[in-house]
Amino acid sequence: MENTPTNMFEWIWLIATQYSQLFIEGTIITLIISFAGTITGFIVGFIVGIVEDSKITPSDPLPQKILTRCFKIIFKIYIEVFRDTPMIVQAMIVYFGIRQIGIQIDPISAGILVTMLNTGAYMAETVRGGIKSIDIGQREGALAMGMSPIGAMIHIVLPQAFKNIIPEMANMFLTNLKMTSVLNVIGVKELFLQAKTAGGTYYKYFESYLVIAAIYFVLCFLFNRIFLLIEKKMAGKKDYVLAVEYMENNE
Amino acid sequence: MKTNEKGSKPKNEKASKPEEIIRVEELSKSFGEHQVLRKIDFSVKKGDVICILGSSGSGKSTLLRCINQLETQTYGKIYFEGKELGKTQKEINRYRSRVGMVFQSFNLFNNMTVLKNCMAGTRKVLHLSKEEAHDRAIAHLKSVGMAPFINAYPAQLSGGQKQRVAIARGLCMNPDVLLFDEPTSALDPEMVGEVLNVMKSLAKTGLTMLIVTHEMGFAHDVSSRVLFMDKGYIVEDAPPEKFFTNPDSGRVKEFLSRYIQKDKENGDE
Repeated sequence: MENTPTNMFEWIWLIATQYSQLFIEGTIITLIISFAGTITGFIVGFIVGIVEDSKITPSDPLPQKILTRCFKIIFKIYIEVFRDTPMIVQAMIVYFGIRQIGIQIDPISAGILVTMLNTGAYMAETVRGGIKSIDIGQREGALAMGMSPIGAMIHIVLPQAFKNIIPEMANMFLTNLKMTSVLNVIGVKELFLQAKTAGGTYYKYFESYLVIAAIYFVLCFLFNRIFLLIEKKMAGKKDYVLAVEYMENNE
Repeated sequence: MKTNEKGSKPKNEKASKPEEIIRVEELSKSFGEHQVLRKIDFSVKKGDVICILGSSGSGKSTLLRCINQLETQTYGKIYFEGKELGKTQKEINRYRSRVGMVFQSFNLFNNMTVLKNCMAGTRKVLHLSKEEAHDRAIAHLKSVGMAPFINAYPAQLSGGQKQRVAIARGLCMNPDVLLFDEPTSALDPEMVGEVLNVMKSLAKTGLTMLIVTHEMGFAHDVSSRVLFMDKGYIVEDAPPEKFFTNPDSGRVKEFLSRYIQKDKENGDE
């Protein structure tokens, strides 16, 4: 190499440029896992949260009662297990566990799966809280006009609960974006593993990790702003347009 | 129970009178140890406007909620058009779509505009076409004077406006009976009038109404019958003229005298 870097900043620049391909690849994989894991995790969380919140009423048919009860127990165990163990351990167990039973899962899929399960366990509680935060009258208003309990949930309660938990969902995504770094233990080529590789050549780990720290920071910063914007949009307009065509003259 | 539902005649002869729409038999409701309703018996005929009076905690609201099946009775039966209410969710939904309810706290859907609130039931429950649901909503919103506000969200309305929308929402279902659970109790005094006026004109259309209220004047002017509840019993069931001038029950006399006294005090100020 013609000009060997003489200070830290030159080293950072060298690593960032020479291994840009690695960092770009790592960023893409990190984003793919965070997005896929978070979105599927939300779906899991919503399903688990709704089942958790549902009540078994005496008028339900017996098979439905048994099924609901079973699901409630399974989901309870699932939530406890995933909330009470570190994600890095979950990653190892899921990845090697699946390979153990003979399924050749690739690290990225395993990473998405772990992120999904982890997100689902946390989101379930958030969704349940979100549903609980909606005044019971909303549900009663819907039921009283003949809507089914499921219809009331889908059309009335969930849209309102969803709006309330958007900040928490954004939070979860940002957490996931950073948590994907633990997936290096199962060999996912996300940002952290790429930094390790890049740093290894010249034994310049500090500089290499500074590069990905900057990438993580910029990503989180940007997404945070985007979510704030969405939240603002969702809050809706403060005023409304009077339907003049229905105004009576004497009013 | 199942055999009762299709075709078979109700066992009580009187129930087969065509004009009787709701009959409540020995209705009891307990919340744990606390018994709120004790063997309530009464019936509602088509076109009846029944005001249910009584002090707080006497079980008025619970009775109404049982009739709509928001609460399930511990004991007793409810008949609708001579048939006992079904137990399955589907049957309950169908019944509720014909027996509307207006709540003290309005319970308008906060995630929907006034127009969407009035179309929710007709679209999702009655499965009307968009145009039909829209036209019906506008017609009923016009009748309560809220049509100009179709684009507003509930949070942007006053209490009286919200309650008028809630009444329009109930009417959109073309119910056979409309239940009112203290419709004016959560309103500022100056908004009570606008809601009562809407209800007065509704009563004139012949709609069957059950109204839990504290508005004595309204009960006197509008109702065809007044029920008075005390500690979970119906202690008086009389036409308003009799109820307000010559009630049988001592409890009602006591209640009325206190009310008149309060009215006098207000008048002196």
